[in-house]
Amino acid sequence: MNGQVPLPRIHGQEEPGGLGRPAGPAGADSGTGTGTGTSTGLTVAAVLRVLVVAAGLAAIGYGIHGLADGRPATNPPNTTAWLIGGIVVHDLLVVPATMAAGFVLGRLVPAPYRAVLQGASVVSAAVALASLPLWRGYGGSADNPSVNPLPYGRNLGIVLGLIWACAAAIIIYRIICTRFSSNGKF
Amino acid sequence: MRPITGLFTGRLPEPPATLRRGPLRANAFPSRLHDPRVASLLGIWLGIAFGVCFLTGLVSHFMQHPPSWYVWPSRPVSLYRVTQGLHVTTGLVCVPLLLVKLWTVYPRLWEWPPVRSVAHALERLSIVPLIAGAVFQLATGIANTAQWYRFRFFFTVTHYWVAWITIGALGVHIVAKLAVVRANVGRGRNSRQHLTDRVSAPEPPGNGLSRRGLGIAVTSAAGVIVVTTAGQWMPGLSGLDLLGPRRPDIGPQGLPVNRTAVAAGVAAAARSPGYRLEVVGPRPFVLTLDELRALPHHESRLPITCVEGWAADATWRGLRLRDLLDAADVPVDATVRVESLEAGGAYRSSEVRPPHARDPLTLLATVLNGAELDIDHGYPARLIAPNRPGVLQTKWVHRVVML
Repeated sequence: MNGQVPLPRIHGQEEPGGLGRPAGPAGADSGTGTGTGTSTGLTVAAVLRVLVVAAGLAAIGYGIHGLADGRPATNPPNTTAWLIGGIVVHDLLVVPATMAAGFVLGRLVPAPYRAVLQGASVVSAAVALASLPLWRGYGGSADNPSVNPLPYGRNLGIVLGLIWACAAAIIIYRIICTRFSSNGKF
Repeated sequence: MRPITGLFTGRLPEPPATLRRGPLRANAFPSRLHDPRVASLLGIWLGIAFGVCFLTGLVSHFMQHPPSWYVWPSRPVSLYRVTQGLHVTTGLVCVPLLLVKLWTVYPRLWEWPPVRSVAHALERLSIVPLIAGAVFQLATGIANTAQWYRFRFFFTVTHYWVAWITIGALGVHIVAKLAVVRANVGRGRNSRQHLTDRVSAPEPPGNGLSRRGLGIAVTSAAGVIVVTTAGQWMPGLSGLDLLGPRRPDIGPQGLPVNRTAVAAGVAAAARSPGYRLEVVGPRPFVLTLDELRALPHHESRLPITCVEGWAADATWRGLRLRDLLDAADVPVDATVRVESLEAGGAYRSSEVRPPHARDPLTLLATVLNGAELDIDHGYPARLIAPNRPGVLQTKWVHRVVML
């Protein structure tokens, strides 16, 4: 894999340590994309940016209006709770869980194999999350057996088994490569 | 122009440095995966995926709530199968894309100073509806395909309006981040590094996942999700459909059901010997079930294509809708309404516009896969038309009315 060899630092900018270059004339900053540093006034690109932002804000307003106007179907308090809940669950549950998993992997697994386990964990977590209601047995209705009809726990097991079999194969391959290269047989 | 721009981009005073603790510290997130190039590449794919979801979602929305200008053809037969299948599959693929993208840019949540200028504050604020909307759309979409209703709003309407919020916030976000993307992606990116201070540094050595490794992991996750779910609509893949909420061949008569006769409250009315089919037009008439069966039947091979993203092929036999309409002297350019025995509900009836009403494949079907229609498939008669969502293929039909 790449990234094992120290590469020369070209830009020398440590991300949070400060801006890597002096700010533009109008305090040009990274995030807004407005700071191209030119003072030629309104270019086509600038007009286009303003139009897209205006259209974007209009779409947001249209959506909010639709939600407010669509009562009772849209149930705005409940919709708002779910909208904010998504951010809360991500920031307070998904991120800490990912950090914890990364921390544990970093402690337990040596370097050349850690990446494989991390990669397999990403794939496993994504597959499990995308099918969460199915293997947890949520949803569906008793009178309609054609909804969620499969043995999803078993199926998820099969898929995860295949993912980790691939991971194991890559790890074994890496072990063999390391042995051979350290014995000087390459 | 200058003073106005200055108002937005002028630097605000920095908060005292003593506040810069915990995650706000410099280099609090040392992983080499928190990188603007990785974020840009993931952002491009995520942007494309959300664009596909939005457009295919609009197609489906307008099909169910057609404005007067919206003309949806009856051919190709499987167009809706593809647009809606893409909608759901692309949405599922967004799960790894979105979560990994959020991971790569997570340190930005703790950037210092928190606010540099008014423009910077607005840009950061626009992230809130974007992330809230994106997570909401994926979570509610996945829950709906599994018919898992823990929320207390009506799914289709709310999913539609939040889509506008999400796509609008995405537009703002793209404009805000275009400079970062251009400086980090593309062949000439080195010549565009002056556009921003967020330029990808060469990958430092490390023991964990490399940037390329992360790309491989996300691609693999997307691939596994597609392979194990797309079989619910894509012909030929159904054997690999391990984690889809439907299997195209599981259900009564080998076909899935979305809403049963019991759930629709029509089980008794549909089996009643007093059943009549009423066709209302310039020359209205009424048929008993025996009379209906005695009329010439035709066969159509058509898929049921559900808004929930599954599709299943079936062989239908029944009366051509256009023959019924001709018998009632309904003009060829007329729209008709097909009504079910259901007493109420959003899907009690559906409008059939001329392209579908006049299509020779459109049937009032009484036979499915060689046997009498199962009650859950709409016995005694159901509408089946090409290129049309399943919720509009009205079941338990008892009236056809010219509008």
